Amino acid sequence: MSIEIEAFTRVEGNGGAEIIIENGEVKDVKVKIFEGPRFFELLTLGRHYWDVPDLEARICAICYLSHSVASVLAIERAFGVEVPEEIMLLRELGLLGEVLESHALHLYLLVAPDLFGYADAIRMAGKHGEIVKEGLTIKAFGNYLREVIGGREIHGINVKPGGFGRYPTVEELERMERQSEALLKLARRAVGIFSGQEYLGAKAEHYVTVNGYLYGDKLIADDGEHFDYFQHIEEKTLPYSFAKQSRYKGEVFMVGALSRLMLKYEMLTPMAKHLYEEYKEKFAQGYVSLNNLAQAIELVYALERTGEIARTLLDKGFEGENVPIEPKEGEGIGYVEAPRGVLVHHYKIDEKGNIAYSNIITPTAFNHAIMELSLYEEAKKRYGSSDEMTFLQKMEETVRAFDPCISCSVHVVRL
Amino acid sequence: MMLKLGVFELTDCGGCALNILFLYEKLFDLLEFYEIKEFHMASSLKEHDSFDVAIVTGTVSTQRDLNLLHYARNHSRYLIALGTCATHGDVQASVEGKIREKLEKVYGTKANPMKALDSTPIVQHVAVDYALPGCPYDKDEIYQVLMSLAKGVEPPTKDYPVCVECKLNEYECVLVKRGIPCLGPITLGGCNAVCIKSQLGCIGCRGPLPKEANPASEFEILKELGYDEEYIRRKFKTFARGELRW
Repeated sequence: MSIEIEAFTRVEGNGGAEIIIENGEVKDVKVKIFEGPRFFELLTLGRHYWDVPDLEARICAICYLSHSVASVLAIERAFGVEVPEEIMLLRELGLLGEVLESHALHLYLLVAPDLFGYADAIRMAGKHGEIVKEGLTIKAFGNYLREVIGGREIHGINVKPGGFGRYPTVEELERMERQSEALLKLARRAVGIFSGQEYLGAKAEHYVTVNGYLYGDKLIADDGEHFDYFQHIEEKTLPYSFAKQSRYKGEVFMVGALSRLMLKYEMLTPMAKHLYEEYKEKFAQGYVSLNNLAQAIELVYALERTGEIARTLLDKGFEGENVPIEPKEGEGIGYVEAPRGVLVHHYKIDEKGNIAYSNIITPTAFNHAIMELSLYEEAKKRYGSSDEMTFLQKMEETVRAFDPCISCSVHVVRL
Repeated sequence: MMLKLGVFELTDCGGCALNILFLYEKLFDLLEFYEIKEFHMASSLKEHDSFDVAIVTGTVSTQRDLNLLHYARNHSRYLIALGTCATHGDVQASVEGKIREKLEKVYGTKANPMKALDSTPIVQHVAVDYALPGCPYDKDEIYQVLMSLAKGVEPPTKDYPVCVECKLNEYECVLVKRGIPCLGPITLGGCNAVCIKSQLGCIGCRGPLPKEANPASEFEILKELGYDEEYIRRKFKTFARGELRW
């Protein structure tokens, strides 16, 4: 027999699970991603490089800017273009906005109702209006950063190869500095709220991230090796899912906030680092639901870092000039940490500047295998000892901890 | 009497459903009139009965999408097609080729156990009461439509190109002054010319202007600026498949 979770709720996109029971024991779990395929790699083939980041942004609404930036980085690398530090810092501000927007959405609107016992944040708002409001305030600030840097809250087209369409004004940077400082105490409170969440799912044994905190030029794993995704990550297609599964050197691994804290805590800002150290023992347990606490600490990181960058740019000023680009034949990979984890855009471009090959791997596809393993572990633990309602609820909470972004996961090209 | 609202998400990027949450305090204004009965991105509650208003986002890209769309239509008084996926097909519908060929290119097999279909807009499958394009749509538009429906008045509609709002904002014309390809003249306005604010050209995400668009003239202008025909053809069809003919 099998237990069917028809559709996960409070996640982005459409997916479900089948829990297979044999002789009274949990035998297997299949995470079924049934969101329709979206064929983004095919969409970009033959397109002029200049238009590609705007198209790729449409892969996902929650992390559109991560897609634009990864796309732009891949294009610039293919052409051998280097941009000055100020442009990278401005891009980073956009990525930080995305972390704030995405984590706040996930923690306050999607996960918090589980902690407080509600079906959704709207119903939770009656008694815990203050918490929901705090979440929305952080989220709105994240969106403000995305709007200024990206050109729009969702699917902006301002991030371009070589620079930007429009550069932020001094007033906008001042507002970023001011507001990020003011919101820090809300983020610290979030850390308290999510530190009490129970352990769910599998224990992650391997982590993969990008080598810089939010962007980089290689991937790293817990064994310390720097590598390109095609060297050690293998993907396979499944008959029951539009998303594929990946293994690192044959092992199941995790990407996302928990992985970033585990591998890159040295890069954290002061308050975030302090909070990480406070919960270090807890994180060492590796339970995948700790991803939520890691996200809360990253809210603190993102606010501190936003203030830091805004200050730097205000102090030293910036030119606001784009680097000119001459198309030529080339190949490039852009590695970005989307809020949910490693995002890879890989292109080959022809001498006219048109895309000749395109491959994109998204965090939810990387996490698909450990998501399945986590449901299996949790189901084994609970099957027969919890009532059905609690059982299904805990299954959903386990999946939700990954903050899956299903829309992103369904268009991975064959390697 | 509270109106029953259902939000149904077919295949898309999630942005149109997400944008409803980005209404922030206006969402709470709407909740004075509406009770959310189905909105899987935001709520675990599912009360499958009937809806006064069903909002459907995304394209029909699987048999499951199609079944869900028919369910929403058959159980609602008003159905709103929300976002360019729903109204025109958006980027995923512009990917050329038959579904089996596309599946083979991406998944390495022509097998189709998950019943994928070529992506199509929902307006092609069922009658809709309101169609609000935009990738993403402007948040105020859905707010206005839901408020109007709650108060029993006909929601306002827009019928002017992006250029109107560009002029009202006094932005410099990027097409004429800087030779940047801009689809503003043939694209339905309502976004407040947001991309021209970034001094970049309109990419046409709200779909073609329904009546007086002149794509042939836009085509000629872009050709004169030195863009090749294939480039222009692809640009025209990105969000609205083949709807812009010249």
